[in-house]
Amino acid sequence: MNCTEAATRLNAYADGEIGTLQRLPIEQHLRGCPACARMHRELLVLRARVRGEVQYFKAPSHLHARVRALAAQASVRERENDSAPVGPRGAPGRWGWLAGGVLADRWRWVAQGALAGCAATVVAWVVGGAALDWNAGRDVVAQAVAAHAQATLNGRLIEVASSDQHTVKPWLSAHLDYSPPVQDFANEGFPLLGGRVASMRGERVAVLVYGYRQHTIDVYVWPTAPAIAAGMRTVRGFHVEGASGAGMQWLAVSDVSPDVLTKFVQKLARVDLPQSDALP
Amino acid sequence: MAENARFEELVLPHLDAAYNLARWLARNSQDADDVVQDACVRALKYLGSVRGADAKAWFLTIVRHAFYDWCKRNRPAEEVADDDAIDDRIADPAAVDPEQAALRSAQARVLDDAVAQLPLAFREVLILRELEDLSYKEIARIADIPIGTVMSRLARARGLLQRSPLLQEMRGGRAEVNHELH
Repeated sequence: MNCTEAATRLNAYADGEIGTLQRLPIEQHLRGCPACARMHRELLVLRARVRGEVQYFKAPSHLHARVRALAAQASVRERENDSAPVGPRGAPGRWGWLAGGVLADRWRWVAQGALAGCAATVVAWVVGGAALDWNAGRDVVAQAVAAHAQATLNGRLIEVASSDQHTVKPWLSAHLDYSPPVQDFANEGFPLLGGRVASMRGERVAVLVYGYRQHTIDVYVWPTAPAIAAGMRTVRGFHVEGASGAGMQWLAVSDVSPDVLTKFVQKLARVDLPQSDALP
Repeated sequence: MAENARFEELVLPHLDAAYNLARWLARNSQDADDVVQDACVRALKYLGSVRGADAKAWFLTIVRHAFYDWCKRNRPAEEVADDDAIDDRIADPAAVDPEQAALRSAQARVLDDAVAQLPLAFREVLILRELEDLSYKEIARIADIPIGTVMSRLARARGLLQRSPLLQEMRGGRAEVNHELH
């Protein structure tokens, strides 16, 4: 591979968007070419800065309120008159121009095309082996996602806010009939933000809340549960990954990328094991 | 009722992502508010066409379209000129938690400014990639461009940031960097 070829792939390489096989020639080139290696380093520095420093704008509370009101209005209107269009028709001025449905019509078209593909993926996945475990754990997964979404919406993601495992663990133990392992992974990019107690299948369950860049990761930890099969699922747009280890069942729900979530859950599930037991 | 519940399940969890995208595209909080509200009206109307797993990408697609429609009406110049324009962000104290703002280093704000000055087409792929952590494939779908274009726009966005006079201090030495490749 020459410099020109390497340069066109460098961004995708830094983004982890290049397949294993195609990575090798780039890695070889970077080892032999100081100029490209330097460009690569600069790229990594820039990425880290953008991810770490560029501001993430969370929706302000007044917007939350307005959007909820919109949804409530729409459902009232729908009940009152099925044929009336949802949305801006009745609103004065500012919303008058919003009625255009070109976009959504187009999306619907795209979505219908994509549905076939999605369905095929799901089928392949279930047939692929995890069917039994998936069914056993499915309502747990659904409940965990629902609880995560609900807590996010209510702003009650964290009941005990602390990055100190020695604060979070006793708090959880005091609210539960078991004591989950709690560890901070700030030095690996996953700071412990706190915890809360959720109710799942009629049981009280510990939830550890970790941060990862701009995202939060909810981790449900409990000793008795239908085994949650490892394997990424996506439910309502959230990624869900399960694992068993350290005497607990672990279920993580987040919108971080699937590979990050999988690695993190596997790390968590072995928190109590000595380093030498860690799988490669 | 059912629609309302579906909206809460599928759309509201992604309101932060929607606002962040709108805020970085519009570059001020008032306009971002309007864009997100418009997007929600549209999302409500077409909730039937989305599946749970697609909700985030679906909603961000709507937000993006809502922004471009808003843009045509309010800033017709922006899209066409692909903005080499001056940073038109309005300093809006209401948009930012004052404590949060105080904590943000001057350095980070310089980077914010540099990102805000990127041309729209580059800014949107950068935000989707770095702040929303979306894959090239998801970005391609949302921005309605081929994956190769996602890649080249990201590369150009990053190149512009690295060359931005605002960020010159970021590069270690300046001299031998001109290893330009095409």
